[in-house]
Formats: sequence, C-alpha cells, structure tokens
Amino acid sequence: MHEAWWITIPKAFVVINVVMVFFAFTTWLERKLLGRMQLRFGPNRAGPKGLLVPIADLLKLIRKEAFAPMAANEPLYILAPVVSMFTALAAFSVLPFGAGWTVWGHHIRGQVVNVPISLILIFALGSLGIYGFIVGGWASESKYSILGSMRTCAQLVSYEVSLALSVLGVVLMGQSLNLQSIVDKQQATLWFFIPQFIGLVVFMLGGVAETSRPPFDLPEADTELVAGYHTEYSGMRWGLFQAAEYINMITLSGLCVTLFFGGYHFPWVHSLDQLGPIWFVLKLFTLVMIFIWLRATQPRLRYDQLMRFGWKVLLPVATVNALVTAFLVVLVK
Amino acid sequence: MANFLVWVVWFGAAFACLASALGVVSFGNPFYSALALIGNLASLAVLFLLLSGEFVAAGQVLVYGGAVMVMFLFVIAYLGDRTDESPWSGGPSWQVVGAILAGAAILAEVCVVVGLKAGGFLSSSHHVGRSFGSPASIGRLFLTDHLLAFEVTSIVLLVAAVGGVVLGSHARQEVESDARA
Repeated sequence: MHEAWWITIPKAFVVINVVMVFFAFTTWLERKLLGRMQLRFGPNRAGPKGLLVPIADLLKLIRKEAFAPMAANEPLYILAPVVSMFTALAAFSVLPFGAGWTVWGHHIRGQVVNVPISLILIFALGSLGIYGFIVGGWASESKYSILGSMRTCAQLVSYEVSLALSVLGVVLMGQSLNLQSIVDKQQATLWFFIPQFIGLVVFMLGGVAETSRPPFDLPEADTELVAGYHTEYSGMRWGLFQAAEYINMITLSGLCVTLFFGGYHFPWVHSLDQLGPIWFVLKLFTLVMIFIWLRATQPRLRYDQLMRFGWKVLLPVATVNALVTAFLVVLVK
Repeated sequence: MANFLVWVVWFGAAFACLASALGVVSFGNPFYSALALIGNLASLAVLFLLLSGEFVAAGQVLVYGGAVMVMFLFVIAYLGDRTDESPWSGGPSWQVVGAILAGAAILAEVCVVVGLKAGGFLSSSHHVGRSFGSPASIGRLFLTDHLLAFEVTSIVLLVAAVGGVVLGSHARQEVESDARA
C-alpha cells in the first residue's frame, strides 16, 4: 500500500495541531485532577468546567512582555525554546496512531512518516531536545538557571540509558526497530506489557525522570532553584518550554502505548481497529493521568537518591531484563 | 528531479559541515565551539542519510550528537569561563595567512587525489540493496567480518570506564584526606 507523497503534508499539519490541542487540554486536565486529588475544585471559572483555561493562558502568555536579562546571550536565549519545541513536536511524527484508511482512492497511513528505524529516531530527537534546556539555562546567565540546566543535563543523560535499555526487550521480541511492525507483532501475539512487565516499569520510571515530572522534577525544583533552567524566561518563550515538556510527556505516553499496550489496536475485537486513533488517544491519556497521579501523591526525591536510583537500581534491572529476554527469545526460536 | 534534490541536500549538508567545522576552531567561546560541533555531527548525519546509512545517521545523532556532546556542554558550562578571546588573535598575521594558505593547499590536494582515485565511481550511480545500512545487516557485519574490531572496541571502552572510576576515586580520597587534616 503506497501513499502519495503530498498526503504527508496535510497529515503532518493535522497531527501537529492535534498534539498542540492535546497539550493545551493536558494542562487543564492536570489542574483539574490535582485539584480533585487535593479536595479542591480546580479551574472552574473560564468556560464550562474551566475548559477555556488553556485558551486564557495562551492569550495571557502571548500578550506578556518578552524581556531578556541584560547579561543574557540573546540569540541562544531566543533559540533554545524553539529547539525544544521543534524536537518535541517532531518526535510525534513516527508514532503509528491508526491502521490506515482509503479515502477517495488515496491510501492514507495512520502515521506521519514510516521509517525503518523509527524507535531510534524518537530517541535521537529526544536527545537533541535536551540541548534546548541546557542552552536556555546557560544563555540566561543566571545562577539558578545554570544550576537547573546542569541538573537537567545529568538527570536526562543518566536516565536515558535505562530508558533505551528498557525498550531493548520489546525490540528483541518484536524483531524490529520499526514501531509499526512492533504494533503488528503485538496484535499477532500478545501485548508486550505482559511478557515485558519489568521493561514497562523501568520505561515508565525512566520516562517520568526523562520528562522531569514529579517526583523526579529536580531540574526545576521550585523550592531550591526558583524554576530551574527557565527561571529567566517569561511570556510565550516560557510557554514554549512548558509546551515542549508537556508534549514530551504526551509523546512518551504514546511511545509507551505503542511499545507495550498494542498501539492503536482494540483488545480482542479486530473489527474495531478502524477506529484506531480513538483507542490510541484513550490509552495515551490513561498514561498521562498516571503521570499526573504520581505528581499529586509522591514527594520529590533528594538529588543523591535520584542518581543512586538511576544508576544502581534502574540500570541493572534494565540490563538483566534485556539479557534474559535475549536468552529466552533465542531459546523459544 | 530526485537527483536534483539529492544534489541540493548534499550541497547544503556539505556546506554546513565545513562551515560548522570552521566554527569549532574559530569561535572564541568554547560553548559556541561545542554547539558548532553538534551542528557538524548533525550535518554529517545528513550525509550518511544520503548514502543510505539510516541507522548510522540515527546512531550518529543519538550517540555523538546527543550523549557525548551533552557531556562536553556540561563540562564547558560548569567550568569554562565566558571570556571571548579569538583563537586567531595571538601571533603575527603572517602566521594566519600561512595557515590559511597551507590549509587551502591540503584541501586542493585532497580534492585532486579523491577525484583521480574515485572519478570512475562518482560519474556512475551505485546500486545498493534494500537491506544495505539496515540495523540487521550492520549487526551481521559486526558479528562476522568485523568481530575482532567490535570486541576490541568493547574492551577499550571497559578500560576507559575502569580508568575513569579509578581516577575519580583517587581524587575523592585526596579530598577526604584533605578534609581530615
């Protein structure tokens, strides 16, 4: 099934905008859920159930004065949030969200681009996204910012290793680095969260650390660092950083769904697979809610605890998991 | 049309590669040099893509562009001073002129030698199989033809890791004995 090249362009446009809308309403969902978990109402003024709060936020951020510190390194200071946002949005492009449809004789794949190494591409884009945070903190020329970006740097590099190793088991079982084939393989056999349960746990913990979400939010620990690397940012530049973080969380949830929970497939009933995007989004937001739940219930780790946990617990577990999976895959063959 | 696009991308990537490499050695601020090196690695990855080496390109970005350069930036941002002094400022100007002339001469020689050696290949397009550059074929090469190099590399990396630990623990012991004294 071949897809005409020009279809990619409107599809990318639609997907980018849908992801942006997801981002906006994830912020609403987070506030609402946090409120409920803390016995508050959460936002309830702008629009029904406070649903217009993200729009109000956007208008406020855009109208704010965009200032930069006197000592800041202007070009890098402006470029950093853009880089973060770009890599965050680009990573979503390889996630398969549907089985593909035929509309007016044109085949449309349920994925913006299908490359043979899509899994590595996501990790590569993620590792480039770190630069936005580091460069932003450095260019602000402020103590809190630089400390925040140092922490980001150390934390993301440490946990990226475990994250990459935790998906190795899935790659070995799916026999591919292509996300579409991994999804197909799960549909043909078994969703990988059952045989790769340890991999899933490591992936989720590594993912929380990788997106700097609580309880691993040391890069922007507000009691110690004001706001970490984006202390000196305001207005829409700050908004871009924030958007990049939320979109990273959404992409990571999407990746988790794709790798462990059968992607866009509906369990057992194959005829429902045509509605793939609905199941994909439902699963994705279930995971996003787990991220929010963690934030509401877990206290922040101490820095040495974070590092010890990453290197001495997660990494060995992920390594042993990959080794055992490799052994078993060969044995079963 | 496709061929024309390849040429456009190649020129863009090759130019970015040379420009960022020049940037690495001529920026006064080491932070900028490191950023230029990232740009250099990224444009090299584009050249790999043009050679159907998708896996190598992604690996290049992930390992060198992502992990290794993050460490560079970490150290530079932590320890590097922010004074901007041009690396070309020292020394008399005839040295600069001489260096540029010598560099240009070497570049011309490389171009001529490559042109003489590979002229035949460059005029005709090579056909590569679908599996060329795929993770599976690269893995097979690692475990068959290049097994020795592959294993030796892993030992070298292990030695480097152990060396790092030993150096780090020495430094820590000195700090602790200083603190005790």
